[in-house]
Amino acid sequence: MTADEILSIFFVECEESLAAAEAGLAACREGTQDADTVNAIFRAVHSVKGGAGAFGFAALQGFTHTFETLLSDVREGSVAIDPPLVELLLRALDTLSDHVNAARDGGELPDDAALLARLEAAQAANAGSSGNGAGNEAGTGAAPAPAEAQAGDPAPTDDPFDLGSLLDDIAGDIEPATTAADPVWALHVRPHAAAMRNGSEPLLMLRELAAVGGECLSCDAAALPPLEGLDCAQGYLGWTFALPGSVSEAAVRDIFDFVGDDVGLAFGADAAMPPLTLDLPRAAESPAEDRADSAPQSAGAAPAPQTTTPAASPVPPAPPAPQAAAASAPAAAGQSIRIDLAKLDRLIDTVGELVIAQAMLAQRLSGERVSTSDELAMIEGLTRGIQESAMSIRAQPIGSVFSRVPRILRELASTTGKHVRLELSGEATELDKTVIERLGEPLTHLIRNAVDHGIETAEERLAAGKPADGTLTLSAEHRANRILIRIADDGRGIDRARVFAKAVEKGIVAADAPLSREEIDALIFAPGFSTAQSVSNISGRGVGMDVVRQNVKDLGGRITIESVEGRGATFTLTLPLTLAISDGMIVNVGDQVLVVPLAHVVESLRPGPGEVQGLGTDRAMLNVRGRFLPVLPLHRMVGAGGEPVAPEQGVLIVVDTEAAGKAALLVDAICDQRQFVIKSLDTHFRQVEGVAGATILGDGRVALIVDVDGLVARAVATGTPSGALAEQVREAA
Amino acid sequence: MLLPEFVAAMGGGPIPVDASGAEEVGQAMLQLLLSARRTGEGATILPSPALREAARLTGLEAELFDGTA
Repeated sequence: MTADEILSIFFVECEESLAAAEAGLAACREGTQDADTVNAIFRAVHSVKGGAGAFGFAALQGFTHTFETLLSDVREGSVAIDPPLVELLLRALDTLSDHVNAARDGGELPDDAALLARLEAAQAANAGSSGNGAGNEAGTGAAPAPAEAQAGDPAPTDDPFDLGSLLDDIAGDIEPATTAADPVWALHVRPHAAAMRNGSEPLLMLRELAAVGGECLSCDAAALPPLEGLDCAQGYLGWTFALPGSVSEAAVRDIFDFVGDDVGLAFGADAAMPPLTLDLPRAAESPAEDRADSAPQSAGAAPAPQTTTPAASPVPPAPPAPQAAAASAPAAAGQSIRIDLAKLDRLIDTVGELVIAQAMLAQRLSGERVSTSDELAMIEGLTRGIQESAMSIRAQPIGSVFSRVPRILRELASTTGKHVRLELSGEATELDKTVIERLGEPLTHLIRNAVDHGIETAEERLAAGKPADGTLTLSAEHRANRILIRIADDGRGIDRARVFAKAVEKGIVAADAPLSREEIDALIFAPGFSTAQSVSNISGRGVGMDVVRQNVKDLGGRITIESVEGRGATFTLTLPLTLAISDGMIVNVGDQVLVVPLAHVVESLRPGPGEVQGLGTDRAMLNVRGRFLPVLPLHRMVGAGGEPVAPEQGVLIVVDTEAAGKAALLVDAICDQRQFVIKSLDTHFRQVEGVAGATILGDGRVALIVDVDGLVARAVATGTPSGALAEQVREAA
Repeated sequence: MLLPEFVAAMGGGPIPVDASGAEEVGQAMLQLLLSARRTGEGATILPSPALREAARLTGLEAELFDGTA
């Protein structure tokens, strides 16, 4: 594993830690302040600090150190959790997130000086109230009294508390360095072979021990073989450290938290050095093993090969907190494995080919008059199972996107003064990793827009009989192979009169354009549209909603609006589960076979007499329950060969589009409705307007996937499909 | 790892190890150097600051460097 790979794992774990801390602090804010919750927050921040120190991100490590120190006080109960403290911790978490981003992207470091001062002040306030004289700024210098503090040793030192030097420690821990008055206790450490693999390094943990005041008393090198028998991948050494009484056993266990059983620990001078464990097959032939079992228990009892530091001091018989030798077993969390994304994508591609091959087999057998067989049904079932399993590997819960929302709302609260309550549901809903990654930006803008434009000020809300705080509801749910994500606010809703007036003013629509309510709502997605009174850094530049719609469309999705004036607006994103395989209608048009994505299909029908009426020389309209939709002949639009059919002889597929509303596509016939594997036309040919991609049918033929949005928008805008577009599509076909 | 080179260098007196350029030191390197010191005619080690710090941290400074640097 390369250093870059290890680093990227660190940042992935940082994201997980930040999410865990966010969830914990959110629980605290809601009143859940038990030990498990506080511990989870502490451990999350501690994890970031450990990695930051190992990778040399000094600023990140320094900030986490101060953050963690306050959390440690909270964990130990010496600082009470109250709403202002939770808000402070949330703010610290936001800044920690900025530090992680800066470390990962090499960007500018956040200005954390004021926040650090507030965190330190919170500790100092605690010190003042507890009366143990551990104030950071007071310079008293005495170590914070641990639970096992010695009453008979009050002697203060002259050294002021030096935060700077602590921050310089590569992995400085929560307690300050020991003083001469501290009692010491012994810790035996034996890293095994696994502790030196995959980027782990035992010396980093020993440095953390030193950072909390630990001092190496002796190194047990009895098991170390001569060069001829040495295996560099094995761990042969063990160490005995003296630790100050101010350091608890729990703090030490936290240091070795990452490596679990890969490092043997024994607490107290009476405990034995953990036995040597060599990886097979060398273990069986190692002559050192027996000797290791009788490893020395303290510096004084060391056999000849043991190395003892000159400054070694005697070790008292018992540690201050010797219990938990039988430490609680780690939670039986689900096991996981990290996979190179390229490998996963290859698997998905292969599964796509399998889907095609299975369809081809079915078609071939059908030609051989074997249309049904148990074996074929079994293969179909297994193929679908493999496909769904492969897709589920790429699936991630949308909660990872939702978890960023609280921070966005906090920032908006500070800039707009609007306090918004967040309600989430469906966080466990899973969708494709790529969709998840590209969902963040449009979702962020929709939320900012909802708070900036939708939700009223507290005064306006109270005047309207609403609670002072607004409510934003985010939800996600599966529905028929699609994911619906809703962003709903209880604000003022869309002011359609103002939207229409603005659109007319900007020349987006004519003043006499007869637009429905939905069409007026959709105007907010027009490029350059904005009703904001002033441009802010939140929204109102008139580019965001256009980009939002484009982003959603790029994901193969759609966005719709439901708005009730005075009661709020709901934006619904309809997204595919995956970008690789979708559902569609296979249709015949002249000499071509095309695929119409099912996401756009509202209904299909064969028109009765009089339901299609001519308009001008070559246009027609379909009367669907009193509403007229333009009839767009796909035959002409794609330049298919053969004679076009009349609407009464063909099939009309009513489709819904983002830009042009509903329309009826005229096709010769619908052949099938099935899943299809999307192949990029850009990769294999070139981009073609009106074509979203291609797929391979069961009979081996290539069928073009219709870009319903693009094709309909173009046809509606120009009145009739252009010959140039048809020429392009024909060329691609 | 440098183990084959170390083994190959045995037999001709103390193995000279120029570690003055070592910037990162882990347990594997400490074990190798310590084993070299204890094998045959031993080794003379020219340490870098990073190596000396690691040896100090792990209580091995005297055994690794006494009489060599």
